[in-house]
Amino acid sequence: MALPTTFFGWVGFIISEYSELLIGGLLSTLEIALLGTVIGFLIGLLVAILRTIPIEEGDSTVKKTLLRILRGILNIYIEVFRGTPMMVQAMVIYYGSLQVLGIDMSPGFAGILIVSINTGAYMAEIIRGGIISIDAGQKEAAYSIGMTHWQSMVHVILPQAIRNILPSVGNELIVNIKDSSVLNVIGVSELYFMAKSAAGTYLKYFETYFIIAVIYLILTYATSRLLALIERRMDGPANYVIHGSQSSSKAAIVVKGGE
Amino acid sequence: MAVISVSHLEKSFGTHEVLKDINLDVEQGEVVCIIGASGSGKSTMLRCINLLEKPTGGSILFNGEDIGGVAPAGYRAKVGMVFQQFNLFDNMTTLKNCMIGQMKVLKRSKAEAQQIAEDFLEKVGMRAFAEAKPKQLSGGQKQRVAIARALCMSPDVLLFDEPTSALDPEMVGEVLAVMKELAKSGLTMIVVTHEMAFARDVADRVVFMDEGYIAEQGTSQEIFGNPKNERTRQFLARVLEK
Repeated sequence: MALPTTFFGWVGFIISEYSELLIGGLLSTLEIALLGTVIGFLIGLLVAILRTIPIEEGDSTVKKTLLRILRGILNIYIEVFRGTPMMVQAMVIYYGSLQVLGIDMSPGFAGILIVSINTGAYMAEIIRGGIISIDAGQKEAAYSIGMTHWQSMVHVILPQAIRNILPSVGNELIVNIKDSSVLNVIGVSELYFMAKSAAGTYLKYFETYFIIAVIYLILTYATSRLLALIERRMDGPANYVIHGSQSSSKAAIVVKGGE
Repeated sequence: MAVISVSHLEKSFGTHEVLKDINLDVEQGEVVCIIGASGSGKSTMLRCINLLEKPTGGSILFNGEDIGGVAPAGYRAKVGMVFQQFNLFDNMTTLKNCMIGQMKVLKRSKAEAQQIAEDFLEKVGMRAFAEAKPKQLSGGQKQRVAIARALCMSPDVLLFDEPTSALDPEMVGEVLAVMKELAKSGLTMIVVTHEMAFARDVADRVVFMDEGYIAEQGTSQEIFGNPKNERTRQFLARVLEK
């Protein structure tokens, strides 16, 4: 079989030759990025809620001490995972858990775990920012109709905060699609790792990495379009209907809502 | 017995004493208007009554019970508040704003909550806007919804914190009209206001606050017709002149 002679010839050849490998890598990358972002978001939500529990003068000493210790631990978590590269975290957690704790994780599981914990640290700050950006009057109004701190968070503050931080959350997802590539150092079979294997056989590095560059770009672009769509859905319709009128109760007037 | 009984109430922010010694009893069905210059402590007193601010001294009794010892959430459900800045929940429609507290705090069923919400929206003339979001409403409309939201909780007392101060002049009337209706219906109301005409026409009792004290109180005829305190006279001369 004659080998290709042109750049695009090689690109086509590698795609057809390694399609299974590349699709497998792509799916693995998507899985890690999506699960890592979702789990990271939940970690961040929990951490942000815990860090915004107010410490009040009237609280007992035990409660105050516990809250302070909890805040300290959460601060350390955030500083450590924002302050070190994810590639290094991957190595430390993967090899450390084997050597110190005797836990032999599969690379795929380790990958999701690492991306989740890393994302959680960023999300905690993003979500805390979202919570404090909501006008204090919203919380006071919730309190004034008898809601507890927890109820006001769940029904009033968080829905608004999450809507406001959606662009930042989308950013994290896009970052995770790209940065999951560093997990190749612990042998996670994501897209970059697969490309590395494919490129080695024919020593066609430029062609192979060009292909996955395009794949990454398609993934991230599709993601950002999808997120824009979700944002618009969350905002609901700009119009609303006024029911009834003085002459006919069945009349309905559509009003264009001003932004 | 007074519904709300405030005695020797004090509130400081750091070294700044806002409320020095407040004593006030509000009876069932009474409409009390609080007037006074900016910074005299009117809003702070109202926020203390609703525990949005924690008093630094004195006591507040609600139907004879000291609210210092009760869970704030349960107490606040019985004492409604209408804010200067409306504070409607921005993530909910008008109808949902009026239903959420009934369902989550009072544990009413969805159908019941909706029925009550629609009735009160009708009462404030906002029934047609049930599906609108707060950002689609004018200031006066928002405040009327906020009043409906508070009424839906079947409060024993309704507190108004300068309800018309953030409104354009042409919208003040629609909100005051709703408040007048409520006053006539026998609701117990404490209203912090700069609307002297409203205080004069609607209040059973007018309270003049000055520098963290209640300087003078009486019927609206007494306060507006024949104020005894020098500070009250000066204040009224200043605001009625305009």
